[in-house]
Amino acid sequence: MKKFDLKRLKNIDYKKLAKDFWYGKPHGERRLGDLYCDKTGLYKHREWRGVKDTMYYFNMIWLYNYGQMVADIMRYGGLKPFIKGTWRYRWMGQTYLPVLHWFDRGLEGLRGEALRASAWHYRAMVSLTIQQFMRMFRADANLNGGKHNDVWKHNIAHKETVWGGVFYPWAGKLQNVPMEMIPYFVTCHVNNHTVLNYIDAVQSIGLPGDPCPMCQAEAGLFVLDDMPDYAPFMVTSNEACDGSVASTILQDWLWDKPLFAMPQPMQFDDPLVQEHCANEIREMWKFIEDQTGIAPDMELLKKHLESQNELTRFEWEKWDVAANTSYYPINGVAQALYRIYQSQYGDNHMWHKTDKKVRKIMEKCVEQKINNFPLTRHRVIAWSCAPLYFSNWCTWAYNCWGLNTVINMDSLMFNMTIRTDNEEDMLMDMARYHEWAPMRRMAVGGMHHIFELWEYMEKFHCDMVMMYDQLQCKGMQGVHGLFEDEFRARNIHAIWMPHALPDKRTVSRSEIRTIINDYMTTVMHEEPIDPSLLEFDDSQSW
Amino acid sequence: MKRVLKILSKVLLIGLGIYAALFAVFFFDLDGKALFYGVEPFLNKHYDRMERRDPLKMTYDMDKPHYDYKD
Repeated sequence: MKKFDLKRLKNIDYKKLAKDFWYGKPHGERRLGDLYCDKTGLYKHREWRGVKDTMYYFNMIWLYNYGQMVADIMRYGGLKPFIKGTWRYRWMGQTYLPVLHWFDRGLEGLRGEALRASAWHYRAMVSLTIQQFMRMFRADANLNGGKHNDVWKHNIAHKETVWGGVFYPWAGKLQNVPMEMIPYFVTCHVNNHTVLNYIDAVQSIGLPGDPCPMCQAEAGLFVLDDMPDYAPFMVTSNEACDGSVASTILQDWLWDKPLFAMPQPMQFDDPLVQEHCANEIREMWKFIEDQTGIAPDMELLKKHLESQNELTRFEWEKWDVAANTSYYPINGVAQALYRIYQSQYGDNHMWHKTDKKVRKIMEKCVEQKINNFPLTRHRVIAWSCAPLYFSNWCTWAYNCWGLNTVINMDSLMFNMTIRTDNEEDMLMDMARYHEWAPMRRMAVGGMHHIFELWEYMEKFHCDMVMMYDQLQCKGMQGVHGLFEDEFRARNIHAIWMPHALPDKRTVSRSEIRTIINDYMTTVMHEEPIDPSLLEFDDSQSW
Repeated sequence: MKRVLKILSKVLLIGLGIYAALFAVFFFDLDGKALFYGVEPFLNKHYDRMERRDPLKMTYDMDKPHYDYKD
């Protein structure tokens, strides 16, 4: 047994202790890595951020979000479909119950306004997720004894890479719910264990291991019969690439529903393809009208496009603050996930509510010149497609190395508003927006767009690139060498981050951290801000 | 009046107790630990055992209705 050492008590700096208790430890003294339980990534205890921010986290993030989740479940269908859905679907029960840990991982180390603004982004994403799975469960014939109820008849199922905006002509009359956004995409961020079941399932029927793991997982949901039967038909597309067509073939087989395929041109700069693409959207509308007997309402379309334009205009204001000041209050992971979710899903009241709150915080930061990331050593732009199982790498990178991810490719893709003054232009702009899908515009959408990186780097005053290297994306693998040449020629510090999108088994989170650590020590010759974060084992963590 | 005050103080004390207990759950990540060691393994066992339809037994054919979009 250790002897009680009175001298140690005398040596404690009580003034500093009281200051750390009240304000939280300053960045550099926090040793956030010491908080983790080995392997699981659980916390021995959650971070003490000072009295004000700890109580904010407890009351306005932890308690508030648990409460709001229950409220959302009651608001969008009640406990019965929620419990039935949780019991029936692995992606639901395994993934979404530990959602507050997703907040924890993304918001580690944040203080003050950055903590508040980033957490509001998370809250919006949780609400949108609940809206969608509750709509699925309420309609689901699997949960309703095979019956196709009224909700089922008023749903539109579509691939997650089909932009939700093409369904605005039925807003309020029919509800579009992407097939894979909730069962696949969001799960990878919240609990990366779940998706492995679906990847393995599709490989078990003979698919080789090297195609895009996103498409594998999307098809695997159907192989395992883990997809709610929530809509009478589906709309598919070849977004982001032909891998999507391949997964659709399996989904078409295993779901066996009327299907409308809406392919988008890969090389979308050719003006001749715009008309073709606009016609594809028109034909899809006719398909929905045939299926449901409800005609598209152009006034509804216009109204929601204008509402979406409002979201885009605020996003531009955010970019302006991020690019030209150090007062931006949103961290890298909140920025990336919120924007891709919002721009791909389309207009929803929750985005507007959140933007209103974030605007208030952002304006306060600008007016009072609040630097939310004061230990920024490098302003980073993240390019290409991110590892879904480690989307919070940027939180870690700031805490450990002062790498502040100011902006990322996914946020910048839908950099346009849509004209609504006449139908012709509206359709053309919709076609263009749809062509600029995630992983299309600046990944497999042509050299010019891939290299927009240099322009954005300058605009956002970034001095470093985090270059995602999706090992199973054949499109991006094809331009790897070109990027390396350009980085050398332009004398840009770029860290290649290999990953396999949702599959943590190919390149683990720990390996990703080691790659960044190695670059920062051997190339940049820098010391970590928080050495406790350099190496730790979180292999079993969500 | 005294009785009302007594009830109110009891309610307040119970409320404070619940609040303190919730703070302990939050601070020591007891929700995370319960979900990681209890709920997730339990649900996984349930999903692993669940009987499922085998969609692969369906034939892949082209008997869908014919959609003609020409006006």
